[in-house]
Amino acid sequence: VSRRILVVDDHPDNRRILRDLLGSAGFEILESTTGEEAVTQAQATVPDLILMDIQLPGIDGYEATRRIKASEALRHIPLIVVTSYALSGDDAKALAAGADGYVAKPFSPRVMLAKVREYLK
Amino acid sequence: VSARSAGRPATGLESVLGAIARTAAHLCEATDAAIHLLEGDCHRLVAVHGRWLARGQRLGATYAMRSDTPIDRAVLERRPVHVRDLRAVARTRFPGLVQLGLYNDRVRTILVLPLLRDGAALGGIIIRRTRVRPFTRKQIALLETFADQAAVAIENARLSQDLEARNRELSEALEQQRATAEILGVISRSQTALQPVLDAVAENAARVCGATDGTIRLVDGGAQKLAAHFGPAAHTADSLPLDRGSSSGRAIVERQPVHIHDVLAVDAAEFPISRSLQALSGDRTILAVPLLREGEAIGAILIRRQQVRPFTDREIALLQTFADQAVIAIENVRLFTEVQARNRALTEALEQQTATSEILRAISSSPTDVRPILDTITERAARLCHALFSSVYRFDGQQIDMVAQYNYPAPALEVSRRFFPTPPTRGLFTGRAILERAVVSVPDIALDAEYVAPRDLLHDAGFRSVLSVPMLRDGEPVGAITVWGAGVSAFSDREVALLQTFADQAVIAIENVRLFTELQSRNRALTEALEQQTATSEILKVISSSPTDTQPVFEAIIRNAVRLCGALHGGVWRYDGDIADIAAHYNISADELQNYRRFFPRPIREDPAHQATHSGRTLEIPDVEQFEGLLPDTRERWRARGVRSALLVPMRREAEIIGSIGVTHREVGAFSPGRVELLKTFADQAVIAIENARLFSELRQRTGELSRSVDQLRALGEVGQAVSSTLDLDAVLQAIVTRAAQLASSRGVSIWEYDELTEVFHLRMTNVLDPEVAEILKVSSIRKGEGAIGRAALTRAPVQIPDVSLPGAYEGPLRAALLRAGGGSVLTLPLLHEDRILGGLTVSRRATGEFPPDLVSLLTAFAAQSAIALANARLFRELEAKSHELEVASRHKSQFLANMSHELRTPLNAILGYGELIVDGIYGEVPDRMREVLERVDASGRHLLGLINDVLDLSKIEAGQLVLTLAEYSMKEIVETVVASLDALAIEKGLILAVEMAPDLPTGRGDQRRLLQVLLNLVGNAIKFTEEGGVGVEVGVVGPAFEISVRDTGPGIAPADQERIFEEFQQADTSTTRPKGGTGLGLAIARRIVGLHGGRLWVESVPGEGATFRFSVPVRVDRQAPVFPSETL
Repeated sequence: VSRRILVVDDHPDNRRILRDLLGSAGFEILESTTGEEAVTQAQATVPDLILMDIQLPGIDGYEATRRIKASEALRHIPLIVVTSYALSGDDAKALAAGADGYVAKPFSPRVMLAKVREYLK
Repeated sequence: VSARSAGRPATGLESVLGAIARTAAHLCEATDAAIHLLEGDCHRLVAVHGRWLARGQRLGATYAMRSDTPIDRAVLERRPVHVRDLRAVARTRFPGLVQLGLYNDRVRTILVLPLLRDGAALGGIIIRRTRVRPFTRKQIALLETFADQAAVAIENARLSQDLEARNRELSEALEQQRATAEILGVISRSQTALQPVLDAVAENAARVCGATDGTIRLVDGGAQKLAAHFGPAAHTADSLPLDRGSSSGRAIVERQPVHIHDVLAVDAAEFPISRSLQALSGDRTILAVPLLREGEAIGAILIRRQQVRPFTDREIALLQTFADQAVIAIENVRLFTEVQARNRALTEALEQQTATSEILRAISSSPTDVRPILDTITERAARLCHALFSSVYRFDGQQIDMVAQYNYPAPALEVSRRFFPTPPTRGLFTGRAILERAVVSVPDIALDAEYVAPRDLLHDAGFRSVLSVPMLRDGEPVGAITVWGAGVSAFSDREVALLQTFADQAVIAIENVRLFTELQSRNRALTEALEQQTATSEILKVISSSPTDTQPVFEAIIRNAVRLCGALHGGVWRYDGDIADIAAHYNISADELQNYRRFFPRPIREDPAHQATHSGRTLEIPDVEQFEGLLPDTRERWRARGVRSALLVPMRREAEIIGSIGVTHREVGAFSPGRVELLKTFADQAVIAIENARLFSELRQRTGELSRSVDQLRALGEVGQAVSSTLDLDAVLQAIVTRAAQLASSRGVSIWEYDELTEVFHLRMTNVLDPEVAEILKVSSIRKGEGAIGRAALTRAPVQIPDVSLPGAYEGPLRAALLRAGGGSVLTLPLLHEDRILGGLTVSRRATGEFPPDLVSLLTAFAAQSAIALANARLFRELEAKSHELEVASRHKSQFLANMSHELRTPLNAILGYGELIVDGIYGEVPDRMREVLERVDASGRHLLGLINDVLDLSKIEAGQLVLTLAEYSMKEIVETVVASLDALAIEKGLILAVEMAPDLPTGRGDQRRLLQVLLNLVGNAIKFTEEGGVGVEVGVVGPAFEISVRDTGPGIAPADQERIFEEFQQADTSTTRPKGGTGLGLAIARRIVGLHGGRLWVESVPGEGATFRFSVPVRVDRQAPVFPSETL
């Protein structure tokens, strides 16, 4: 049974890279393009891992993270924020919102894959 | 037998006892008999009859008491001892007999009876037989009778002995008594004469002590002198040395009796004198006893015997008694003589006392007048010297004058009156006494050849003898006392002495009077001085109590001046310029004063009296009526008051006459220099008071000025502080307005601000309270050049309007407001800053007239402060606007950068992400040539990412947004991470990357990620710019800091570039570094990060020899250091 990973990003290239990377590694990929959609889809599918972008239309990644983490059913899902390294305090903000880890953008697909595997262990 | 014999005297006891022994032996049919007498612990054989005595035994032999002889036993046991045959029992019962050698074996039967008296044993009687035949009861009874008789005889003998001894003692005592009584009798009979007493003592001592002679010697000077002797013509010296050579000398020296038993037996060297005297006197035994008075030897009593017979203790004691009596006698006589002498002296003194007491009384009752004393003296002298009449004369060194007489007969008085005063001559007895300074006593004047008075005077006046005694003071004659006697007879010594006493008293009296008079005048002088002193001190007190007001001082001065000068009235005059006026007065009535006021103040030149004093002269008017220079009104006033003389002295301060002080008198007469001096003293005091007051008010004025200056300075200080401490312009201007109003006593201070654009002044701050005036001010806008403020702005100088209400003085727009506020004066000051007009300060006062210069300068300072405050406020406003703009711009820039970096990252993510996925073969097999290109794409993408990150970092640091994450870190780990990251790069370039780390590096505290960034940058750069050789990294601890150096063997950095490389976008040599790539931001960021840790980063390099970058950071950083661009760049 392949693990399901929810990728939340409004940028098609970013979703494509993660889909190609993780798909080729044998993961099942679910995708959302907004925060609201991510929350709804997480509730509907209960994935094994969530990769959350911050800069999203509508509610941002932090809010979406908070909502997912506020849900009894979803709280246990590891959530990695994929954030712009540049913005000061992004990492701290992500952890404060309930994220379990973060990866700075631009990321190396190799590093990202290692991280995902680590969280799914 | 017994009764008779027992009654015999004691001397016959032995014969009585011998008779008893004999009779007892005979009647008891014994062979022999013996009687023993008990004497203490012994018994003595006192009587024997028959052939008693053993060999070696004799009458009178004594035996110690024991218990083993028959006699001892009888005596001890007080019972008869009857032995039938002694031979049989002697050795067993009476071994003592044998031991004592008294045992005779022919003795067979013995009977011993104790001699008992009142139960006590006195001895024993023993009878013996040579045959064994015990004594019958009758014989025993008979012996008992004899024993009794013997006991009675013994008792009697003892009583008789006692009686005799007592008798002897009594007679001796009687003799001593008699001797003592005799001596005492002599003592009492001759209280004044010592000799009879000493004679009696010597005689009785010799007689009572049974001595050949008796001698008393007394200490006199350094010798002992013969004082009394009794006995045969003594071979004794009158005077003997006071030493141990003689018995008496030794007794005196040693203060104890000296008893020489035999002079011939003592060492001649011991008593040389006694020995040499002995040769003459034949003395053998000598006793000397000292005469002691209060422990001191005053002599000795000595008794001697011509045969050797030492004196008994009793005799020695007796002689001491005699010695005591001699001392008592001597003492008595001495005391008596003393008492008598004292008595005589007292009697004489009393007599004189009595005689002179009246004179003394006279002296004491009339200390100022010698006459009553002299009268008393003449009277006493005449009476006590039994003279007819007497007289006292005074001598002044030239002339004699008769000053007192008593009982002079008329003719003598008449002659005397004619005669005296006269120089002293021998023709006068008084003159003679004075000339000779000695007593002149003439028993018969008729026979005196030198006497010059008429001879018939003797007859007429009835005198014949004369006694004249000079009165001497310190040996110099000051007069004489003379008494005249009726008959021809010499005056007695006592009378001469008495008259001398009188003379002395007269001298004392005269001297007393002289002293008294002197004292009185001195006293008067002192009293005056004291009064002056008191007056002066009173004035000084007034001066000190009213230092500013001269009036009370003048009043005290004139009061004291009038009082001390004994004046009628007086006044203090002040000369003010050429005007004289009365300043204070004493004893001038209200009416009089009114009269003065009609004429004063008046010009000095119109008043000759004041003109005189004003020219510095003292004006003395001994007689007002004779004085020409009085104005009619003065003369009239003085006449009305009865003024006859006046004194006016000038009051002089340095060269200036500032007034005068005058007193008037009822009496006509010149003023003594002392009086003038006194008034001058008062004048001086008045000057002092005036001077004091002047100095005091000057001081007060000066003090006032000083305190005003202090106030001003304080106000300025406050304002200055307000200006510098607050940017609240209103508060500052408020302070300026308030303080300026206070200091200038102003009713209204206003500050106006100038608007450069419209060239108009508007009210900025005012303390004017009147709402209408305030409203006018508030709505007024004053154009440049208009009114006082406008003018001050144009001229850039203060503008004064001394009186606003004067027509034409001020036509400005505020005229109405000023007039409404009450007119007065206005001062306007321009507010200038760096030559720019900022506004104006106006100060208005109710008072008209110019503002004092010091106030103007003070307000100018306020104006300057106001200008600074306005300028500051303006500057601050501009600054605030500017900084606000900058802040906004900075915020925009940061946001822009953040957005830009995000926007740039997103495509980069795609570029780098796809590239890696392609290379990793996600999209299929990649040909080698393509892989190579893809790697170049990846490298370029990463360089671009680095550039973006660096720019972002830098902008964050500049915006103060870079916050260190301070936590524990391991420097070793940082270094190892750097080596791990860059080792491959070095190896690829063929370089050696060497690391040298000190062991045991401490755990650091700081931002690990940022420090790693710094070291990565430095090592990365070093590898990048080095083509051959290597890169060395050294890590150590120096003090409290890590010190890290990164050394390379690259081209080095020129000195000119060594600082530039730390600036943004700078590399050492752009031409050489271009191919090396890099953003040029790394070192700038590294230096800033080190700076944020409180450390520093620098480079050391010589071109061609490589470069060494060093940085040091504190091991433990607990707080991020503030970063100032100038310090970090």
